Amino acid sequence: MTTALAAPRTTLPVLHRMWTDAPGFTGLALLLALALVPLYAAMALDLRVFDGESPWTKPVKFHFALAIYLISLAFFARYLPAVMRAARLWRLFSVAVMGAVLGEVVWLSAAAMQNTASHFNTEVPAFVTIYPIMGLLAVLLTSASLVMGIAIWRNRETGLPEATRLSVALGLILTFIATVIAAGHLSGNDGHFVGTSTRTMWIMGWSRDAGDLRVAHFLATHALHFVPLAGWLAASALSPAMATRAVVLATAAYAALIAGTFAQALAGQPFLPFIG
Amino acid sequence: MSPDTLFEYSGPLVLLGWLALTFAPLAPRATDAIAGLMIPAVLSVAYAALILVNWSTAPGGFGSLAEVMALFTSPELALAGWIHYLAFDLFVGAWITRTARAERIPHLFLLPCLVLTFLFGPAGFLAFTALRANAAARARMTGAVA
Repeated sequence: MTTALAAPRTTLPVLHRMWTDAPGFTGLALLLALALVPLYAAMALDLRVFDGESPWTKPVKFHFALAIYLISLAFFARYLPAVMRAARLWRLFSVAVMGAVLGEVVWLSAAAMQNTASHFNTEVPAFVTIYPIMGLLAVLLTSASLVMGIAIWRNRETGLPEATRLSVALGLILTFIATVIAAGHLSGNDGHFVGTSTRTMWIMGWSRDAGDLRVAHFLATHALHFVPLAGWLAASALSPAMATRAVVLATAAYAALIAGTFAQALAGQPFLPFIG
Repeated sequence: MSPDTLFEYSGPLVLLGWLALTFAPLAPRATDAIAGLMIPAVLSVAYAALILVNWSTAPGGFGSLAEVMALFTSPELALAGWIHYLAFDLFVGAWITRTARAERIPHLFLLPCLVLTFLFGPAGFLAFTALRANAAARARMTGAVA
């Protein structure tokens, strides 16, 4: 593994490594994506409406989101120490994370089947009971980014430029911290919105005239993409010392953006209401 | 999409598969891909979607004959059941064709089995099983390599 990392870096990352670095995450990501076929078919057949949308909109969104999350983790797994990837504890943890992901998607589709709410359900007893458990599973699946972020932070042999390595680690850690705060608050709210929403944005469904807590959740969860992207750009454009400083700055700015959209939603204000 | 529309689409689709099986010796691998994988997969997606959408409000259940009959009083679930027949019968038809080819059973003998599988699923499977036993017995007695 170390020899592979020491080999000259190519411009394009080697994608098939995901299957050996994180076979479980990669496989589950593919399965979640394939399951979109029957989900979209169900959406096409289902004439029922839930909160103004097809009941299948939510499972579809989560299948996309979780597939992207898992495939991203599978990609970053190459920067974990090889010893850690082979360790029993890491494998057990991965299985627990995968179990949590499966639990979440089964719960979401079960709610869609019954045309009832998954999150914020206060009516169907089974769903009321299960909601806190789903919260715990959500924290468990998000904790994978924290564990990987810390491990990459401490790994000196990633083969990455210092700034890029730092950005991957910070992006993963920020994903966990900010997602738990944003999504944690969201789960205790009465719904997604702060205020009354009458219009929503295409695809994202964010409110155009009320506060929407999902904006901060979205940005928080994608820290693991945006911060490493900034790090990669910084490392290819700046001197090593400058690049590292730029990464720290970019992380702080991104965290501020999450905090800003969070505060904006709490104040009942829409995010960029002129879009959509 | 209404159950009736879906029903109307499913017929021609599955007939295409059976037509391919009838002429399987002309293009065995393509036939197997179409009748043994693609069409059953498309029908399975439709089935899965029908179940996802309608199962929670379905009458009846699997527990007794009366419950199963109640299940089929819902047009959506009756359609799901019908698509289940179509998908699995075609899948078995493709398996029969594949197995017969591997065991060198002449395609002409197969045609009645395929017709039976198409119309009355398990009866066709039974007929093919008998045909296979026949071919095996013949091979053993004549010493011919099956």
